[in-house]
Amino acid sequence: MGFWLELAATGLITGGIYALVAMGLNLQYGLMRIMNISHGEFLMLGAYLTWLAHTVFDINPVAFLPVVAIVLFFGGLAVYRLCFRRIARTSPSVDVIEARSLLVGFGLMYLVQNAALLAWGADMRGYSYLADAVEIGGARFAANRLLAFGFAIAASLALLALLRWTIFGKAVRAMMQSPTGAQLVGIDTAVLHPVVFGAGLALAGMAGGLLSMVYEITPSMGEPYTVTALIVITLGGLGSAAGCLAGGLLLGLVEAFGMHFTNPSLKTLLSYGVFIGVLLARPKGLFAR
Amino acid sequence: MPEMLLRARGVYVRFGGLVAVDRVDLEVRAGELVGVIGPNGAGKTTFFHTLSGVLAPTAGQLIVGGEDLTGHAAHEFANHGVARTFQTPRVFRDMSAEDNVRFGLEFAGRRRKHARDAFDNPAAILDLLGLGDVAAIPAGGLTPAKQRLLEIGMALGARPRVLLLDEVAAGLTHAEVDATAQLIRRVRDEAGLAVIWIEHAVRVLMNYVERVAVLHQGAKIADGDPRKVARDPAVVEAYLGEEGGGERKAA
Amino acid sequence: MTANLRYTITAVLAAGVALAFMPWLLSDFLLSLALSCLMYVALASSWSMFSGATNYLSLATSAFFGIGAYVTAWGLETLPYALAVPLGGVIAGAFAALVGAAVLHLRGAYFAVLTFGLGELVRHSITYFEKTYARTVGRVLSDPPEAVTVYLTVLLITVATVATCAAVRASRFGLALAGVGADEERAQTLGVNTRRVKIAGFALSAFFAGALGAAMAVRWTYIEPMSVFNPFIGFQTVLIAMIGGAQTLLGPVVSAVVFSLFSELLRLQFPYAYLMLLGLLLIVLVLYLPGGIGSLFRGRWARA
Ligand SMILES: Nc1ncnc2c1ncn2[C@@H]1O[C@H](COP(=O)(O)OP(=O)(O)O)[C@@H](O)[C@H]1O
Ligand SMILES: [Mg+2]
Repeated sequence: MGFWLELAATGLITGGIYALVAMGLNLQYGLMRIMNISHGEFLMLGAYLTWLAHTVFDINPVAFLPVVAIVLFFGGLAVYRLCFRRIARTSPSVDVIEARSLLVGFGLMYLVQNAALLAWGADMRGYSYLADAVEIGGARFAANRLLAFGFAIAASLALLALLRWTIFGKAVRAMMQSPTGAQLVGIDTAVLHPVVFGAGLALAGMAGGLLSMVYEITPSMGEPYTVTALIVITLGGLGSAAGCLAGGLLLGLVEAFGMHFTNPSLKTLLSYGVFIGVLLARPKGLFAR
Repeated sequence: MPEMLLRARGVYVRFGGLVAVDRVDLEVRAGELVGVIGPNGAGKTTFFHTLSGVLAPTAGQLIVGGEDLTGHAAHEFANHGVARTFQTPRVFRDMSAEDNVRFGLEFAGRRRKHARDAFDNPAAILDLLGLGDVAAIPAGGLTPAKQRLLEIGMALGARPRVLLLDEVAAGLTHAEVDATAQLIRRVRDEAGLAVIWIEHAVRVLMNYVERVAVLHQGAKIADGDPRKVARDPAVVEAYLGEEGGGERKAA
Repeated sequence: MTANLRYTITAVLAAGVALAFMPWLLSDFLLSLALSCLMYVALASSWSMFSGATNYLSLATSAFFGIGAYVTAWGLETLPYALAVPLGGVIAGAFAALVGAAVLHLRGAYFAVLTFGLGELVRHSITYFEKTYARTVGRVLSDPPEAVTVYLTVLLITVATVATCAAVRASRFGLALAGVGADEERAQTLGVNTRRVKIAGFALSAFFAGALGAAMAVRWTYIEPMSVFNPFIGFQTVLIAMIGGAQTLLGPVVSAVVFSLFSELLRLQFPYAYLMLLGLLLIVLVLYLPGGIGSLFRGRWARA
C-alpha cells in the first residue's frame, strides 16, 4: 500500500510542476497565438536565479520565489515589448503571428540557453535544501518534493482563482473567446497581452525555482519541459487553465506508473504515446465536451 | 431538364449552442443563377462553407453531380466541380495575380474542360475580369476591390460546374455592381455553369437572378421568383428589423 | 522543363562536377571543412523545400539525420555503403511519412513542438533498444569507407538535393506546397489534397536528411545516440535556412556555406557567443526582414 501511494505521489509531484509550466504557455498561446518555444529556457533562468541566491547570498529558496516571479515578469514584459509586440502589429493574419512567434521563440531559446552556458558553463549545479525524508501514511518523500508540489498546486489554484473571479481574469477569458467582442467592450490588448506574457514567464520561473530545490540544474534543462508543456496543453485543452492542472497531474501519473510497469528509459516514449494518442482521438483535449 | 449539379438536403450546422444553418434544402441545376439573401448573421457564409466542403455540416447531406460528398474534404468538392470565393478575399498574397488564377487550373481545373474553352488560360480569365494589366503584380498589393475580382478569377481557374460567390458586390458602386452582374451572367452563359450568389444587400441581387432563396436565422424562409419573394410577408418581416437593409453594406 | 529550370539544374550539376575534384586539391583540413559546408547546404536546402514553402516549422532534422546514421551503424556489416546511404534516406522518409500522417493535420505550433521533441524520442528509443537487445551503448564501425568516398557521396547527395529543390519549386507539387504555406484552406478549395501534399513534402525532405546522416555516420568511428542525434545539427539547419531565406533556392545554399565556415572558425574559440549571435540574428531577421536575407535578392536567380 505504502509503495503504491509513494508511486502515485511521485507522479502527482512531477505533475504539479508540469501543470505550472504548462499554464503560462497555455495562456499565452490561447490569448495571443504565441507558442513560445523558449518557455523552458525561462524556467531554467528561474532555476539558476534561485540557485545563485541560495549558494551565493544564502537566501532561502522558498523566500526567494516571489523575487524570481517578479524578475521574470518584468523580463517577460521586456521580451514582449522587444519581440512579440512587433510581430502582432505587423503580421497580416493570426497564422503568420503564430509562425513568426515560433521562429522568434526558437531564436530566444538559442540566445538564452547559450547565454546561460556562457555565464555558468555546462556543468550540473545543485544545492541541498530540505532533502530529509518525511513519512506520510507509510510512504516516504523528500521534504523538498512535498514543498515543491505544495507550491506548484497553490500557484496553479491561485491562477485559476484569479482567472475566475477577478476583473482581469474575466477580461483574459473574454479575450480568448472573442477577441473582437472583448475589444468592443473596452478591453485593452495593449495592457493585457504584455501582462499575460509576463505572467506566463513568471510561472515558468517559479517552476524552475521549485525544480532547483529537487534536481540538479543545467542550462539545457528547460527544453524537455517545453515539450511536456505542450503535451499537457493538448491533454487539457487549449486555453483552459483548469484543464492544464488536470492534464499536468494526469501526465505525471501516467509517467510514474508507466515507468514502473515498463522501464524508466521509456519515459519520453510514454509521454509521446499519450500525446499522439490524444491528438488523434481527442484533438480538442481530454476534457472538451 | 438540365442536369442537377448540387443538392443540399437538410443541412444543419451548430456552433456550440448556436444554430447557424437550420435544415436548409437547396437544389441547383446547370445554367441556373440563384441568389441567396439574408440579413447579417443569417448563416449564408456558413452554408457556403458546407457547400464547398470547408465545414462538414452537423447533420444533412450534400450531393454534388449525383455523388454524395457529405463529410468529404474540401479538395474533393473542388475536384467535383464546386468552386467558391471568400467574403474577405483570401488570395495568395505573395503570388502574382496570374499565378493565383493558374493555381486552380493546375489542380481542380486540371480534371475538366469548360463547355466552351474560353477560360482555359490565366490571361483570358484575367482579361475577362479586367485584371489583365495587373497580372504580374503580387496579389497582396492589389486594392480590396481588385482582390475580390481576383477571388472570382481563382474560382474560375478551377473550371467549376458550380460557382459559389460570397458577397462579391459588397462595397462596389452601382455601376460596378452592374458590371459584375453582367460578367457573372456572361460566365454562366458561356460555360454553362450553375452560379449561387450570396448578397447581403437585397436590391443588388433581385435584378439579376432568376431565382432567389432567403435565409433568416439559419433557416430558408423563401425560395423562388425574385418578384414574388420580395413581396413575401415572411421575408419582409425578416428584413424589417434591418431598416434600409437594402442599402447597408455588409460587415 | 522550363528554360529557367534547365539553366538552374545545369548550373548545379556544373558546380557539382567542379567540386568533385576537391579531394585531390585540398588539404585534409580544408576537405573536412568542405564536407561540413556540403552537409549544411543539403540539410538547409532540404529543410527549406518543405518548411520554407509550407511554413510548417520542422525541428526534426536531427531525428532524420540520426535515423540515417543508425541505418549505417546497423547495416554496414552486411550492406555496402552505397546501399546503406539510400536505405537511410528511405527509412527516414518513411518515418517522416508516418509521423506526418499522425500530426500534419494539426496547427503549425503543434507540429513544431512535436518535431522539437522527436529527436529526443528516437534517441531514447534507440538507446533503450540497444541496451536491452544488443547490450551495448554504441557501435564501432569496423571497416569505414575512405574519406574520398565519403566526400563524393555527400557531394552527390548535396547536388541531388539542390537539383530536387529547384525541380520541386518549378513543379505542380511545389505550387501545391506554396499554396499550403500561403493559405492552406484556400488551396484546398482549389483542389489540392493538402494532407497528402504535406506528408509527401515532409517525407521527401526527410529522405535527404536521412541519406546525409547515413553518409556522414562513417565520420564517427564510434557511433552512439548522443552524438548522431545531436539537436544542434537540426537547430543549426533551421537557423541557416531561415537567415538565408527559406523561400529562396540560393539563400539557404549561400547561408550554409557562410555559416559552416564561421561555425568551424568561431565555434572552437567562442562557442556560446557564436550561438547567441545566431539566435539574435534570427530574431532580428524575423522581426525586420521575415523573408530572410535571400528575400532582398528576389531576382530571377534567387527564385529559379
Ligand atoms: N466558426 C464559428 N464559430 C462560432 N460561431 C460562428 C462561426 N462562424 C459563424 N458563426 C456564427 O454563425 C452565424 C452565421 O454566420 P454567417 O454564416 O457568417 O452569416 P452571414 O454570412 O449570413 O452573415 C453568426 O451568428 C456567426 O456569429
Ligand atoms: Mg457572410
